[in-house]
Amino acid sequence: MQAEVEETLKRIQSHKGVMGTMVVNAEGIPIRTTLDNSTTVQYAGLLHQLTMKAKSTVRDIDPQNDLTFLRIRSKKHEIMVAPDKEYLLIVIQNPCE
Amino acid sequence: MIRSTGPQPKKSISFISTIKGTQTKGYSGANQSRMALSKTLTIAPEIKAEKMSISTPRTVIQVIDAHGVDVTPRPLYHPDPHTGTAKPNKLLTSREGSFAAEFISSYSLYQNTLNPSMLGHFTRSVLGSSIVSKSSVSTTESIAEDLEEPSYKREKLTSFTDLRVVRATPGKIVTKEDLEKTIEIILTETETLRFFNLPTVMVSVESEEAMKVRRRNKNYETLCRNRLGNDLYAERMMQTINGAPKNKDVQCDKIVKEDKGIMSTAWDLHDSYIAMELSSLPAKQSILDSCGKANVPSKDREQRVPGSTTEKDSEASSLMDIENVILTKVRDDEVDHSETILKSDKFHQDLFFMERVLMENIFQPKLAAYRQLPILKEPEPEKPEDFQEGEKLEKTEEEGQKEEEEEIEISTGQSTIPANLERLWSFSCDLTKGLNVSSLAWNRTNPDLLAVGYGHFGFREQKRGLACCWSIKNPMWPERIYQSPYGVTAVDFSIGAPNLLAVGYHNGTIAIYNVQSNSNVPVLDSSESPQKHLGPVWQLQWIEQDRGTTGDDKREILVSISADGRISKWVIRKGLDCHDLMRLKRTTSSSSKKGGEKEKKGEALISRQAPGMCFAFHPKDTNIYLAGTEEGHIHKCSCSYNEQYLETYRGHKGPVYKIAWNPFCHDVFLSCSADWGVIIWQQENPKPFLSFYPTTYVVYDVAWSPKSAYIFAAANESRVEIWHLHISTLDPLIVHVANPGIKFTTVLFAKQTDCLLVGDSDGQVGVYELRNMPAALDSGRGDVIDILIGSKSKQPG
Repeated sequence: MQAEVEETLKRIQSHKGVMGTMVVNAEGIPIRTTLDNSTTVQYAGLLHQLTMKAKSTVRDIDPQNDLTFLRIRSKKHEIMVAPDKEYLLIVIQNPCE
Repeated sequence: MIRSTGPQPKKSISFISTIKGTQTKGYSGANQSRMALSKTLTIAPEIKAEKMSISTPRTVIQVIDAHGVDVTPRPLYHPDPHTGTAKPNKLLTSREGSFAAEFISSYSLYQNTLNPSMLGHFTRSVLGSSIVSKSSVSTTESIAEDLEEPSYKREKLTSFTDLRVVRATPGKIVTKEDLEKTIEIILTETETLRFFNLPTVMVSVESEEAMKVRRRNKNYETLCRNRLGNDLYAERMMQTINGAPKNKDVQCDKIVKEDKGIMSTAWDLHDSYIAMELSSLPAKQSILDSCGKANVPSKDREQRVPGSTTEKDSEASSLMDIENVILTKVRDDEVDHSETILKSDKFHQDLFFMERVLMENIFQPKLAAYRQLPILKEPEPEKPEDFQEGEKLEKTEEEGQKEEEEEIEISTGQSTIPANLERLWSFSCDLTKGLNVSSLAWNRTNPDLLAVGYGHFGFREQKRGLACCWSIKNPMWPERIYQSPYGVTAVDFSIGAPNLLAVGYHNGTIAIYNVQSNSNVPVLDSSESPQKHLGPVWQLQWIEQDRGTTGDDKREILVSISADGRISKWVIRKGLDCHDLMRLKRTTSSSSKKGGEKEKKGEALISRQAPGMCFAFHPKDTNIYLAGTEEGHIHKCSCSYNEQYLETYRGHKGPVYKIAWNPFCHDVFLSCSADWGVIIWQQENPKPFLSFYPTTYVVYDVAWSPKSAYIFAAANESRVEIWHLHISTLDPLIVHVANPGIKFTTVLFAKQTDCLLVGDSDGQVGVYELRNMPAALDSGRGDVIDILIGSKSKQPG
């Protein structure tokens, strides 16, 4: 199970166009990351707030609903966030290449 | 109405018959009690009675309301009786009996004491003479009214309702003329106010009591005389002792206040309710905890970091120290925690989704083409165009759609662009590299799930085998990988239980895997079965058979054909149970009188059984099936007979690798063989109907298109051909040539879309889209092909 997780994570990291993969815990401390620490912490902090807001929005509309995935498409790349109570899985991909 | 004498200063109250007392609101409260006790008395609410009671000295004035409750108001303010005399007032003397309309209250408003609540009041004497006296300040509460005067005629007071007080607002601008005006001040004496009246009682001398009274009087006189110096009367003074006061101060501990704010959102309330419901079941202690926790704002780090609860109580200055201490502790916890995160199921699932999302991003155009959706055009990454691209994106989408529409129009109209196979993507990964794709099968319920078996055909090339489940959503890595030491030669998904995958191996074993789990161990295995196949299992299929005779519902059986010449039926009942449906016996080509099971004498055959290569069940009648052998014969068999063939179709010279019934026209089937040929047969005709020998390569696989009765695909070693019978029976419609060194080994049509899957000998399964196929007459109706066959039947096959 652990090996499979590692394998999947490695595969994701090696995909075409993936610029960075980060797993941070709820306090913003990176658990696994392919980017440097300062970038990771910055992403973690900003995305954590955004995820909270998005989650709050979704749940305000229907309290039995919950946020499962968040994608932000920007000019340069796409940020994909899989939020959870205990961690954040963030992948930055440049899909054009 | 009596007017005041003398000029009236502005400040004084003027008498107006109809008074609108806007400022008499202050009375209303006070007057209510008056109303309450008045018995049918309607008194002008503005009128106030002075507290001072003029009436019967005997009784203290009491105000009792209708319920008998004593509501005697007590004065809050004791007016100075002297101040009231300054003002001129109206002294109204009303004659007896002429109360009506003459009874006017007097109002006085004092400059000095601008008591808004006070306007005036009137007093009435009990004795019938109503005297209105100027009153000084009256209190709002002083409403003692001697309504109990029996002599009072209440009806007369109705006139008071007309009287209202006009509050002369103190908005006075004192002008110089005002100051110099001569004001007449009239001093009058108030009437006598009697506080106590003890009338003398006179007793007649001749009454019976006279004696007593006299005696009493006498006693009294003597008493008064003896008063001085009498012991009975002593003057004494007392002083109460006041205890020494002592001041005592108490100071409590500093009350620590904490501000807590929370944004009350709908989901927070929902969570709290759910938490309370859940926790009401277990012990009560936990209720308090969860309630407390539920109310804590979402960012509750205290739960996770045990040491940080002390942070709240600590002073700000020492916060840093404590934090440092805590952080060191925390880091140890964190390490463990991060591992648990990585191992958690949720994380695994999130990774799974993330991978799929990535795939979607990478393969979006291809997947969209597969699913026949409009393709999103990515904005160009060049910088100067970036600004425009954002606006253009929508336009390009529309344009893209228009272009596709145009293409379709063109294709249907003129078909100037020839039909072609466009390669979308291919399922391949490192694991599958170098292996030969031997079989493909779609899942019956999930159209996105594909099973691919990897294994070599030839005996000498045997390597390890692999059975993978691929999903369209992730073309880069299979969802399930089942490894085995033997090459996989056949795969098929079950119909009734779509999570079961049957895999046939080169060593004759059949294994059934449950694709819901990832484990490499099959659920069922036929390797221990005594009736397992001895040769490679070339084809597997799950068939739903009608057990009409026994009255059961459709039962699913697994049918396999293998090189040991047996067609077996496997049933899952505590393991795999095998029954032979048919044993393929060798037939010699010359003997064709019967179905051909008897060998000629004198022919010494090594094995009486012919290896079976493929089979195909009739789409409508699941009792009938066709079996292809290595000899090149195709036998039509029935499940009811396991000894005889119903019919034998001879036409191929080499092993028949694949048989396929036409999905629309149930009399026609297709077969391909190692003799480079593809033959179309008609069910009744044992001779080939139509045969194709396009190349000099072995044709490994053929398949009918699910959309049209005319189209079929054939894969031979070097190329994939798409034939369209309606257009031409001599040449294929589309030819796709393989890269050198790669052989195409399997084909499979995708059901809902116009796509074709082609497996090759390098372990890749390519997904091709059939583009620009001629749309006309592609209805695929069975009757149309009958017409075709009818027309072609004139020509010999």
